[in-house]
Amino acid sequence: MYCKKECIAMLLAGGQGSRLYDLTKQIAKPAVSFGGKYKIIDFPLSNCINSGIDTVGVLTQYQPLALNEYVANGAPWDLDRMRGGLSVLPPYQGGKHSDWYKGTANAIYQNINFIKRYNPDYVLILSGDHIYRMDYKLMLEQHKRTGAVCTVATITVPMEEASRFGICNTNPDGSIYEFEEKPKQPKNNQASMGIYIFSTKTLIEYLEADEADENSSNDFGKNIIPNLLNNGEKLYSYKFDGYWKDVGTISSLWEANMDLIGEEPILNLAEKKLRIYSKNTARAPQYVGAKAKISNSLIPEGCRIYGTVKNSILSGGVIVEEGAVVSDSVIMDDVVIKKGASVYTAIIDADSIIEEGAVVGTDGAGKDNITVIASGSVVAAKKA
Amino acid sequence: MANSAAGIIFSSLNINTLSRLTGDRTVAAIPFACRYRLVDFCLSNMVNANISNINIVANYNYRSLLEHIGSGKDFDLARRESRVTFISPFQSGASASSKMFSTHMEALKSMREYINDFKEEYVVMMDSDNVLNIDVSEVIKSHELTGADITIVTRAIDKSYSAKHPRMMLSSVAGKITELALDSAYNERYPELSLGIFVMKTVYLRHLISEAEAFGLNSLTQLMLKNCKSSNYRAYKYTGFVASVSSFLDYYRYSMELAKCEQARESLLWKKEAPIFTRVHNSAPTVYSAKAKVESSMIADDCVIEGTVINSIISRGVRVEAGAVVKNCVLFAGTRVGKKASLNCIVTDKAVDISDGVTLSGNENMPFYIQKGRKI
Repeated sequence: MYCKKECIAMLLAGGQGSRLYDLTKQIAKPAVSFGGKYKIIDFPLSNCINSGIDTVGVLTQYQPLALNEYVANGAPWDLDRMRGGLSVLPPYQGGKHSDWYKGTANAIYQNINFIKRYNPDYVLILSGDHIYRMDYKLMLEQHKRTGAVCTVATITVPMEEASRFGICNTNPDGSIYEFEEKPKQPKNNQASMGIYIFSTKTLIEYLEADEADENSSNDFGKNIIPNLLNNGEKLYSYKFDGYWKDVGTISSLWEANMDLIGEEPILNLAEKKLRIYSKNTARAPQYVGAKAKISNSLIPEGCRIYGTVKNSILSGGVIVEEGAVVSDSVIMDDVVIKKGASVYTAIIDADSIIEEGAVVGTDGAGKDNITVIASGSVVAAKKA
Repeated sequence: MANSAAGIIFSSLNINTLSRLTGDRTVAAIPFACRYRLVDFCLSNMVNANISNINIVANYNYRSLLEHIGSGKDFDLARRESRVTFISPFQSGASASSKMFSTHMEALKSMREYINDFKEEYVVMMDSDNVLNIDVSEVIKSHELTGADITIVTRAIDKSYSAKHPRMMLSSVAGKITELALDSAYNERYPELSLGIFVMKTVYLRHLISEAEAFGLNSLTQLMLKNCKSSNYRAYKYTGFVASVSSFLDYYRYSMELAKCEQARESLLWKKEAPIFTRVHNSAPTVYSAKAKVESSMIADDCVIEGTVINSIISRGVRVEAGAVVKNCVLFAGTRVGKKASLNCIVTDKAVDISDGVTLSGNENMPFYIQKGRKI
């Protein structure tokens, strides 16, 4: 039943995303809505299928209900396959051990049997925390060309932010001689994107050794990569120069949404190349009323707009009633903004109701002062 | 009881009246309300009533219909216990000549063996040229309650009604149909129009087919006209929005009504408990640029709106470029309206390309149609 695959992907989707506060109270970070019709996990899953990878293990842990429901059998990404396809891999009870996933490396370690079923030459490790479009095929080609046992995807970040990332120090040929996790004084600004391609044999060998080490924190960045380097293994960096954004904070999530609009959007979702797929529903087409004013915004099906929407990203089924104003905001599924209400510089999570005349947020507040409304909230107008 | 009715949808038996829109597609495959095709309403009405054995009679150019419905998955009809089956004309060993299904009865006669196998107690038949969102389970319930032979869904018409070709009209007293006629203009003797939705017991349908065979009749309507007085035919009057699309002008007018009338949208598209299903595409949200100006319009996904759109129905993947004005139009999927172009009362078929600066105008009573793939 299990045929050999050249490369399979393991997608770490168990992250809590605690810095997204109310947005991830009940759902895992990869299940957070993005860009009107998507969830964060659509990006790595679409990248996989666009890169010819048809076998993906999705490792879930934190609040997996919404995520499991969403990825289901993988059909939206064409990952419902007879052989391979998408498999959700939660932590499990075993005969000897039963454990939560302790770290990124431990999560993969616990699923070595899944990897072995497909006998792949290479394993691609991904995380479900980033917004980016990438052809992993090109990275795999480099991995094969260089003969590396591990290739780490890197991206140039501003020098002043480099100390927040895992930094790859490389030789001129791209081989890595040092990997520093969140260095105080970074030597350069090539940050690891948390995307690794391993040759399977080496991966399993190091995961087993790491598991045997009681002092390890079972993390790729902190343990596996340094161990490989210490043992003189051949590691290369793969430089990626496209759009890539960690949406782990409220302000970065808001900013990434805003990157989708504007005269020349930094990230254009309508582009056909490396298209991002998502679960599409049969909602009614959007309707724009006689007094509506919409500018510089993304609006999907199911919305009904009778008021003003500018510089905003709306998700499916949002209703903006007459006289209501939505500006510089991200509005998630099925939110109702009633007559005369105003929403400025905010992220409003699904199913919330902004009552008549209520005011949410401050006009022009900027990315560091985003107002967040948790899902299912009802916001009433302040009494005079 | 769930699953106690089978469905038969007639995809195209009035093809002659919609010539422009049916140049290369059957009536059921005509796009409507941005993202739907006419057949979606029939299928959704049935699916929402838990009908899971649905049969589509397809004779006229049905390629796009097949493509649209596929396995039936998007309608939740690709399950072990639910299916959508296409019934098309065929040649058989018994007779050298194949019937082209030019009437309902011709198709039903060919399906005879198959209908004999229906396990369901009732059959719901629908034509695809009436667009409505009706609770079919209520119609079946009423049919059971009244013990009718056939229940016909109708709507009231007045003297503003006219159709290019004769349709079934009737009068009823307390639901009991007293007179049945074929006419294309309003006649006060028949103030109700049949919406082409018939409910009957499966055994009754078998009986009708036998009778048609015995009398050599090839028309279900003729048979019903003949039997009306001696049978218990009943009308189920529907009062919600109905688009009876019998001509190109009808099509245009009902599209405009959807753009302008909130009640029409509520009745047809926004019923929470009765969604309309359709083939889903992977599409990005619609982009409204800084200069976009949109009023009273219904818009699908994957569009880019940089110009002005008023009172229009805009399908998937349409581009209205900067300075362009689209008014009172129906634009099918993939239409591009170039910079500063201006359209009024135009229906563009799929993938029409309107070059920069072009001005085109029809009239409310004579909208202008541009065929598939044309560049102007």
